[in-house]
Formats: sequence, structure tokens, C-alpha cells
Amino acid sequence: MKKIWKFLSSMKFAIILLAVLALACSAASLITQGQSYEWYARQYSERTAALIVALHLDDAFHSAWFLLINAFLCVNLLFCNLLRLPQLIARTKAEADPARAIETEGTAQAGPVRDPGRVFKRLRMPNPISTATADGREALFSSAHRAGLWGAWVCHLGILLLILGFGLGQMTQRQYTVYGVPGQTRPIGDTGYLLTIDDFEVGLRPDDTVEQYTADITVRDVDGRGSQSASVSVNNPASLYGMKFYQNSTGWAAKINVQKDGAPLQDDVVCAGEYLAVKDKPELVVFFSAFYPDYVMTPGVGPSTATGALKNPAYLYQVYYKEQLLGMNVLMPEEELTIDEYTVTFTDPQNYTLIQIKVDHFTWLALIGGLLTMLGLILAFYVQPARVWAMKGDAGWTIHGLSRKGGALFRDRLIAAAREEDADASS
Amino acid sequence: MLQVENTLFTIVMLTYFAAMILYFAFIAVKRDGLAKAALILQAAGFILHTEALVCRGIGAGRLPMTNQYEFATAFAWGLCLVSLIFVVRFKFPVLGAFAAPVIFLIIGYAAMQSREVKALMPALRSNWLGFHVSTAIIAYGAFGVSFVLSVIFLMRDRMKAQGFLDQHIPNKEKLDLISYRSVSLGLLFLTFTILTGAIWAERAWGSYWSWDPKETWSLVTWIIYAMYLHLRIRRGWNGRAAAIFAAVGFVCVMFTYIGVNVLLPGVHSYA
Ligand code: HEM
Repeated sequence: MKKIWKFLSSMKFAIILLAVLALACSAASLITQGQSYEWYARQYSERTAALIVALHLDDAFHSAWFLLINAFLCVNLLFCNLLRLPQLIARTKAEADPARAIETEGTAQAGPVRDPGRVFKRLRMPNPISTATADGREALFSSAHRAGLWGAWVCHLGILLLILGFGLGQMTQRQYTVYGVPGQTRPIGDTGYLLTIDDFEVGLRPDDTVEQYTADITVRDVDGRGSQSASVSVNNPASLYGMKFYQNSTGWAAKINVQKDGAPLQDDVVCAGEYLAVKDKPELVVFFSAFYPDYVMTPGVGPSTATGALKNPAYLYQVYYKEQLLGMNVLMPEEELTIDEYTVTFTDPQNYTLIQIKVDHFTWLALIGGLLTMLGLILAFYVQPARVWAMKGDAGWTIHGLSRKGGALFRDRLIAAAREEDADASS
Repeated sequence: MLQVENTLFTIVMLTYFAAMILYFAFIAVKRDGLAKAALILQAAGFILHTEALVCRGIGAGRLPMTNQYEFATAFAWGLCLVSLIFVVRFKFPVLGAFAAPVIFLIIGYAAMQSREVKALMPALRSNWLGFHVSTAIIAYGAFGVSFVLSVIFLMRDRMKAQGFLDQHIPNKEKLDLISYRSVSLGLLFLTFTILTGAIWAERAWGSYWSWDPKETWSLVTWIIYAMYLHLRIRRGWNGRAAAIFAAVGFVCVMFTYIGVNVLLPGVHSYA
């Protein structure tokens, strides 16, 4: 039992887990994710495809084994941090205790110098305190940057929270999309809220490239007890009723007007990619398959759009009757499509917006985790705990220092500081 | 402005080239004066390089860090900056000599990219992008330096004792510590890069982490360097293994930077 606990909290296990995680991530990034068995069979071979599907490598980042690695990582981090907490507290105290410091052998020694206070200053060791060695000699002691002892601990805590925040978010988050043109109101999934698109603007630069997409939206609950409005654009999401709204993408919509024997039958806004069933003959379906705002026809390539600006609109449609394709073509704005007694025209092209709605209650946890990780790294790397003490001898003060992190570089600094002091004093 | 940048860029490339030749001469002729001259030339090149980046930024009307050309030249700039700092701080001109060809390679790669200034798509218009890319440049620069240090470390055994290089290169214990300084600088900034990237992705795409290949590979890189840290602490591991690890880490960096764009599609395909 004790052995298991020890292994689970060990750095050895951490290194193994990190190696496995790195391998898993690189393997998963090299295999296209989210494809079908048939797709992999075509891409590789049937045997490889079977293996990929069996090992869930087609959706590795959401597989049970990936979750397991991360769960072990969390256990590892948690146990390691729990185990080290009392040790760290004890060490932080010990670092500040002159009696214990002076008993230890320093990793660096220099001197003798006449004025040890100035050496402490050069080494940026604050407020040396007077103390005495075991054999009663006068001594000075300073301990600095003890916060650095906590770097790894804070970093590990941060990583733990980051993984937890991300994992809990993945498991509990909900996502919806709503799209439409200004004036339309649609329900947001099963949330009980309605989203109205008040306005949608595509900001173009003089060269017709897109600068920004901005949607003005209003959200109200189904019972109509109040509403909240916001403007959302790319890189500027909005939070309403605890949900976050993102301007995700855009496309074209148009009004499809159907007349029967010359009399108006229906007039609907349809987005490109949507179907419209004729009202009194639902087996007859018009599919608005694409829209070209600046239509060009290239022989051998087909229809396309030259720019994103609305300069020369054209509509690509398909007509189905009882799921049989009757025909497809490109319609220009004044052109009519006639099917028996029905006449169809496309008018009023406009942009629709696709709003993505997300509820994730754990983003803050991941963010705190990330910030703690950063803080921990700063402490671990840039706050180097060090102890320096000076002992009085017959020829002057000898300087001693100890910094595990600083090693030889710290030793060099200490020796240089003592030498400079010596040179200053004698000049 | 872009015209000025073009000219400056060419001058910078020539300056770095000249600095590299001087560094090589320093090692070949074994004269310390040459190292000083090389360092001064490299620093001059760095100042001109900074001006070139500023001109590009003014000319394009935005941060000059959004396509392959801009990122490549900024990468060379970051590597130059970090190597200058390490050369001066640790009085280590041989490091400059080993870093010079890497800097030249990267700026050469930049020279091969298209310099066209394109308007930014809406997702790229964010202040977080500025933090994201500028921290990446420092991280990559620091990892570049640790790569060079690893190469020096691995070659150290073959050097003649008491030879010129032997006397101009710190002992292995110090090399390992200096390498640790550069890896930790890189890892800190890589963490910052990933964090700001996640914040930006959340605002632009509605999801702060979506396992896009570039994200995944930056995580792999991050893990490799985290392993380096732990392996370094563990007793029984000598500096040699840690040096190999730091070198592998830089291969990951380069794969994240170039390989992912070429081989794996994703939302990062523009930079
Ligand atoms: C997965 C479980 C992990 C465990 C159990 C673990 C354990 C440890 C242990 C025992 C130390 C030694 C601390 C010392 O001697 O002061 C350490 C140091 C450290 N660890 Fe971890 N670690 C883990 C993951 C990570 C990860 C993913 C990172 C990411 C960067 C990380 C960053 C650090 C840092 C920065 C240090 C201090 C290193 C130094 O100052 O040189 N650890 N870790």
C-alpha cells in the first residue's frame, strides 16, 4: 500500500506519464481525427483502420485512455503536492534559521573580507542579522528568495487545476448555434431562451476584404420576463444570461418567392444550404445550394465568386420532386424558374450570421490554473533561494553561501562579490 | 515604409552574415578581438533588424507578426536578442559563434517567404495576438539558444584539453546551468504563449483549446521541456542526456513552427 502511494506520487511516474502523453498527442495529431472506418481504410489499409478504430485513435482526445492518462497525471500531481507540503513548510522555516544554516557546509566560500555587509549588498542579500557560530564566533546571516522554494509546488497546483478545469468543462459544457438574418428570432436549443438577430453587418475594407462581422442580438426567455441585448463581433464575444455568444461565421441568404398560376403563394428567407418545400406541394423542394455575390463563370471550373462584395449576384439552385433531382442551374436576379404551375424567383440577397452559444462553468478554473502555472514557473526559475553567512576570523570575515539552484553560477557570483569588495577596500 | 523595410532587411542579412564570418574567424585564428568585433556587428545588425520590424509594422499598419515571412524574421530577431543577452551575461563568445549560423539560416528562410502585406482576417485582429506572437518569439529564441548550448555541450568532450575552445567554453557543470537558464526562459514564455493563445482562441473561435495540430504540437513541445526539467533534477541523469533532450525539444519547436503548417492542416495555417 505504502509502495503504491509512493509510486503514484513519485517524479518517476510523472516522467513516464508525461512521456506517454507526449507520444499520445503527437500520434493523434498525425492521424486525421474524426473520420470513419472507411475513410481510414482508404487512406491506410484495412488492418491499420481497424487498429485506429479499436484504439479510438480516430477521436483520441476524447477517448477513455486519454482521460485515464490525465486522471493519473492529476492523482500524481495531487499526491506529490500533498506529500511535499509539510516538507516545504519545514524547509522554508529551516532556510530562515541562522543556526541551522551555519551548521551546513556552504557550496561557495570566499574571503576573508573586511566589510561583510557590503558583500551582502553586492549579492543582493537583504538585512543580514547578527548571530554566532557554535564555537562562539561572531557571524552574520541572511536568507533570501525563499518564495522560490514554492515554485514547483505552485506550478504543479496550477497544472492540476488547469487539467481539472478543462476536463470538467469538456464534460459539462453545452453548445448551441443559431443562425439567421436580421429580424429573425430562433430558440437557443433547449435552454428556454430565444435569440433575436436585430442587425448584422459585414464591414468591408475599400479592397472588399472583410474587416469585421458584427451582429446585434437580443436574448429573452420564453416567458418574456425581460431581455438582454449585446453586440457581438469576431474577437468580442458577449455574455448574456450566463451564456457566452460568439460571432462564429456568416453566409448568404435570400428571399425565395413562389407564385402559383401568377398568384403569390409564399415568400420565405432561406439561407444558402437550406431547402424550401413548396407550401401546397411539399414533395416539390427547392434547394438553395449556393450564392455568388460577385458571380463569374469560368469554363472548365464552374461558377464562383470573384470577391465577397455584392456586385453581380447569382443563385445556384436544385429542384427535387419526391427526392428525384429535376434540374439545377444558376439564376440571375431577374430570372424566373418555372416548374409546371409554379414560378420561383430569388431576391433580396443578404448576409445571415451564425452565432455560437456556449455554456462552460469551468473556464475560470482553467484560467486560474494557467495563471498559477505561470506564477509557479516564475518562482521556480527566477526566485532562487539563497543563504549567505559571514563568519569572523582572525584575518577578517569569511563569506559562505548556499544555493542549490544557483550551483556553480552562484559560487562565481559570491566569489566575485567578495573579490570586488576586497579590491574596493584596498584601493 | 515597406520599401525601407526591404532595404533594411537586406542590410540586416548581410550584417548577420558578416558577423558570422567574423565569429568563425575568431575560432579559426584564435583571436579574442575578432569575437568582440563580431559581437558589435551582431548588435548593430540587431538594432537595424529592430528598425526593419518597426518599419514593417508602420507600413502594414499593424503588428508585423502575422504571416510566415513576418514570423520568420521576428524569430531570427528573437534568437539574436536572446543569444546576445547570453553571450554578454555569461561572457561566452563561442555561444555567439555557434548561434550565428542558426540566426542566418532562419533569416534566410524568411528571405524566401512572400513579403506581400495582406489585410488581416477578422479573427486575427486582436490584441491577444500581439502578446501571443511576441511571447512565442522570445520562447523560440530561448529554445534556439538552448539548442546551440546542447550542441556545444555534446561536442565538449571531443575538444582538446587546454585547447583554445576548451578555455573559451565553460565547464560542463556551468554549461548545464546556462542551458537550464535558457530552457527555463523558453518554457516560461512558451507557457505564456499557450495561455495568451488560449485566451485569444476563446474570443475568436469560442473555444480555448480545440486540439488543433499547432496547439497539440506546442503542448508536445511544452511537455518535452517539462520532462527535461525533471530529468535534470533526478540524480543519475548526467548532463549529456539532458542536453540531448533539450536538442530534441528544439526539433519539436521547429516542427511546430514549420512542419505543422506544411503537413497538418488547421486553423493556424496562416502563420
Ligand atoms: C505530472 C506530475 C508531476 C509531478 C508528480 C512532478 C513532480 C515534481 C517534483 C517532485 C519536483 C522536484 C521539486 C524540487 O526538487 O524542488 C518537480 C519540479 C518541477 N516541476 Fe514537476 N512534476 C509533475 C509535472 C510537471 C509538469 C507538467 C510541469 C510543467 C512545466 C512541471 C514543472 C516543474 C518545475 C518547473 C519544477 C522545478 C524545476 C526546477 O526548478 O528546476 N512539473 N516536479
